Amino acid sequence: MESGDMGHSKDPAVFSIQHFCLHDGPGVRSIVFFKGCPLRCSWCQNPESWRTAPELAFKAHLCIDCKTCVNACPQQAISAPGHRDLQKCGQCFTCVENCPSGALVCFGKYYTVEDVAEALRPEFPYFENTGGGVTFSGGEPTLFPSFITGLSNRLHKEGIHTAMETCGYFDPETDTRFLSDMDLVLFDIKLFDEPAHLRFCGKSNTYIKKNLTRLAGMAFAGTGPDIWPRLPLIPSITDTTENLTGWAQFLDSIGIHYLTLVPYHNLGGSKRQWLNLPPAPEFSALTDERLGDAAKLLEQHGISCFAPGEEDWVQIDFKTASGNRKVT
Amino acid sequence: MNASLAQAAVHQQEENQFFKQFPSLTTPSMRITAIREELLSTRYSICLERPTLLEKFKKSRQGRQAKSAHPLIRRAMAIAYILSHRTPKIYDNELIVGNMTSKRVAGNYYPEGGSINILEDLFRLGKRQIPIYLTPREKFQLAGIGIKTSLTSVGGKTLLRPGRFSHFLDFFRAKRYFITEEAGIAHQVGNYGDVVHNGLVRADMKAKQSLDERKIKDGTPLSPDQESFFKSVRIVIEGIRQMAANLADTAEKKAGQPGISDERRQELLTSAAACRHVPYHPARSFLEGLQSCWLVHVAMNLEDFEQGMSFGRLDQILYFLYSRERESGQLSPEKGAEIMASFQLKTCETMPLYSERIDQYFSGNAVAQGITVGGTDAEGNDVTNELSGLILDAFAQIRTREPALHVRVHKNTPSWFLEKAVETLQLGCGKPSFFGDAAVVRALETAGMTTEHARDYAVIGCVEMASQGRTYNSSDACLFNLPICLELSLNEGRRFLGWNPVRRRFGAVTPPVTQMKSFDDVVSAFRAQVNDSVSEMVKVISWLENTYRISRPTPINSIVTEGCLDKGKDVTWGGGFYDLTSIQVAGLADAGDSLYAIKKLVFEEKRMSLSALVDILKNNFSGQEALRQELVNKFPHYGNGNPEVDRMTQLAADVYSDAITSHKNTRGGKYVPGIYSMTCHIGFGRKTGALPNGRLAGMRLSNGLSPIDGLDRCGPTAVLRSAASLDSHKWTNCCALNMKFDKKIVAGKTGRNALTGIFRTYFDQGGMQVQANVLDAEMLREARRDPSAHPSLVVRVSGYCAYFNDLQPDVQDEIIERTAHGIG
Repeated sequence: MESGDMGHSKDPAVFSIQHFCLHDGPGVRSIVFFKGCPLRCSWCQNPESWRTAPELAFKAHLCIDCKTCVNACPQQAISAPGHRDLQKCGQCFTCVENCPSGALVCFGKYYTVEDVAEALRPEFPYFENTGGGVTFSGGEPTLFPSFITGLSNRLHKEGIHTAMETCGYFDPETDTRFLSDMDLVLFDIKLFDEPAHLRFCGKSNTYIKKNLTRLAGMAFAGTGPDIWPRLPLIPSITDTTENLTGWAQFLDSIGIHYLTLVPYHNLGGSKRQWLNLPPAPEFSALTDERLGDAAKLLEQHGISCFAPGEEDWVQIDFKTASGNRKVT
Repeated sequence: MNASLAQAAVHQQEENQFFKQFPSLTTPSMRITAIREELLSTRYSICLERPTLLEKFKKSRQGRQAKSAHPLIRRAMAIAYILSHRTPKIYDNELIVGNMTSKRVAGNYYPEGGSINILEDLFRLGKRQIPIYLTPREKFQLAGIGIKTSLTSVGGKTLLRPGRFSHFLDFFRAKRYFITEEAGIAHQVGNYGDVVHNGLVRADMKAKQSLDERKIKDGTPLSPDQESFFKSVRIVIEGIRQMAANLADTAEKKAGQPGISDERRQELLTSAAACRHVPYHPARSFLEGLQSCWLVHVAMNLEDFEQGMSFGRLDQILYFLYSRERESGQLSPEKGAEIMASFQLKTCETMPLYSERIDQYFSGNAVAQGITVGGTDAEGNDVTNELSGLILDAFAQIRTREPALHVRVHKNTPSWFLEKAVETLQLGCGKPSFFGDAAVVRALETAGMTTEHARDYAVIGCVEMASQGRTYNSSDACLFNLPICLELSLNEGRRFLGWNPVRRRFGAVTPPVTQMKSFDDVVSAFRAQVNDSVSEMVKVISWLENTYRISRPTPINSIVTEGCLDKGKDVTWGGGFYDLTSIQVAGLADAGDSLYAIKKLVFEEKRMSLSALVDILKNNFSGQEALRQELVNKFPHYGNGNPEVDRMTQLAADVYSDAITSHKNTRGGKYVPGIYSMTCHIGFGRKTGALPNGRLAGMRLSNGLSPIDGLDRCGPTAVLRSAASLDSHKWTNCCALNMKFDKKIVAGKTGRNALTGIFRTYFDQGGMQVQANVLDAEMLREARRDPSAHPSLVVRVSGYCAYFNDLQPDVQDEIIERTAHGIG
């Protein structure tokens, strides 16, 4: 069932559509989480977003041991709740349908553009009254360029603001016109050093830097979406002086002088258990002090720092300035 | 491309120039901080002055005379005696004077009803969850008063009679309903506009004229009852004047004491002058306006009892006085806010007396002295003004459990005001609550009010409704358990729970489930049970109404309720221009979701017979956990924006509303429904058996218009959408939709913009009422200790939001820490 991590062009699986989100773009937003991601960041808190195909998860703490799943499975792949023979499992998710307690869940469901648009429609009035909209996230939405174009156009027809959160890892040589269909791109950057990026995120960051440069250029030329970088602060990994300095100089060189800092919290653990994945490596939580230090360092390089949801969106004006924005 | 961002900018600000100029109105002065600290550090107590004075009155010469007088006069003399003999107290720093009890913070004891339940806690008053402190001597005195007066309380007089004893017992075993009217009626928004602008002298002269001319307004000659009514009005007005004069004396005496600063002396003399003038005469200043309202409010509290006595639309009532002084430069906005804060702090002097048993039903220690701000005039034009904002800012200075604040929202409500209201909400005190003018006005019109009068609505207590100053609404007469009616309808009128060897029927006779062939049959049986339950309840309330007329009429309330002086009738006799009795419901979503489950499981999917389902319910899902889990987790529930299941909640609401509105009270007024439950959903829940929606026996029921805790899985916008989709035009006594937010999510400008926007959308879509809790770390800790405490609490976990209960315990701990430390 599962195809490769890149170049998947048919309808994507969506693992969640969340409403009333206030930290991923302006106003009240709905986030569409696409399934599938080219990166495997060690600190990732959404491991259900990694694979493109829908997958089964087992929340042991909800299981009432009724064995409905054992009896429901047409392949007899389940010997006891939580014990599934992966060889026998045909990914039909009959067990999920029959599980009364919600212990068995399926992350991911295939959607058409129309499905997603309909699921979002009731939220439109809230977008209108708060200057909000829809954010595509994941996973990695750029895995599904034609879908993104279709959905974005569909939403634009109704006057809905669209944003995309991307890890930036996509082939810069391929057709990236779909990016122009966004109003705003939230561009996640992690490690500046390439070997470190490869080590902690599983892929090189060459594409990421290229794409960021290109998107910034498009934004300033008025031919692309607004762009806003975000950096997760992982203690001793991404909040090091070298890493922050590296990114600060890079951002400065492409004319971007603002950045959202996303503080790391070690909260994704239970999801890995549900998916039967090995536990995430331990990183210590980010203290207020380290967050302050990181912000201070970046500000020294002329980069204004923001907390998620507290960005000064109205300050972006690529048409009139070169991306220099007021420091608040 | 940046259109939407620009739009966001437009939504951000449209600031009121005034509040831009005076940003410090939310900062308390030293005086306000001092009064607040004093109130917060005072231990709760019980004031026994009122019952003691009542006893004294009975033994006095006047009291002996009163025994042979008309009941209205007898009551008026007793009230006037209390008012004129109570100890006047003026506390340090305060700008608005007039003590609510003889102690700094205490509950008044009302021997007529409503207070006796506190005797249940007599031997552990100091050890209650909300401790009350009395000296041993006072406890002894309290026991004496309680024992002596229990038989003569309204409840005792009404129900300790042959044939009514089981109804008396119902107060201790409330299952189908809980009749709050037994405690008193209170719950009023008087005509404070009239009090402030015309003074009580207008009513006094009107009464005098009717007595002199021996006829009422329409020319009909006075009956003996009417003559007594007008006399009772004049007697209580004299009592109020005496109370005010006593306060003025005290203020003057204090002003004359050595060691008082010149500034404070001046303030005391101002207060003395105010109390010599208002409320009898029209107020001359903003301060006098508030002083006038306060004195009448105190009098009304002492006349009936404390619940839900509200002030109405103070921003409208006082604006004339405020703006006149502002324009002439006599009053600065800071001073105005300080006076307003001092006024609001006065409302913290009182509390209700509930035993812990009763506290299950009405937890929170609130009496809800409501102030309503914003809204429209009679023509529908926006009348939000500077004072509307100043009232909210004054509350931001004090952040106390009283008063209750209510914000009216309509399509032309200015953004600055809605934003200010949300900012006040962000303080975390759960105030203000928000009301949608369109839906409320429509529901008041349903009850027969003119559009103009409906548009002049103000909130009584927490959410109840009145066209201010013209309505006598026994707005919290009774709370009603809707799901138990469904239980009864599935068991031929008998409960699932409890020891019932003689198979005593508890409700109406409805057919056995084996004879119910369709979903409609179930609905008919449910309707029959609701009707039966409502009729039974109405019968008891009628008995109480008859007792009230004789032993507990309320002449002061009648003065501030339009219609009474024209008709020459006390409000308890039907004098009010609009007369209503309101019944509130608990467990609406439980009833709706249960109806849906029956429909789907039994009649559509035909997975089991109705009798098989009922057997499972009788056994409280024992051995059927998988089915129960499925009903809870896999069946849709109200509050998720699913029209199919929301329709069942509408059906439940309609069955209930139709039953209520088919009755009239003994004053000739209408019965109207309200959709809120105080905390009765907990008390009722204990008495209610398992329900088809998977709720186990004894668990609490859903509250007000809210979805079942924890089953609103699609976030706050879906809850608002479901609530707004219901037809509320019959809910004349309004509804309560409770929401909870993590302080982290809705903090700051981002949160303000979001809440403002979703509330506005809710009201655009026809929403009637919403109130929100912005939860802090302590509440999260509570949720951690007891997962059922805040089951639908959404918290922010790094990039996404999650239900707190869905998180692993260690994660919960971390979130708690995070919230406490306020890390982004």
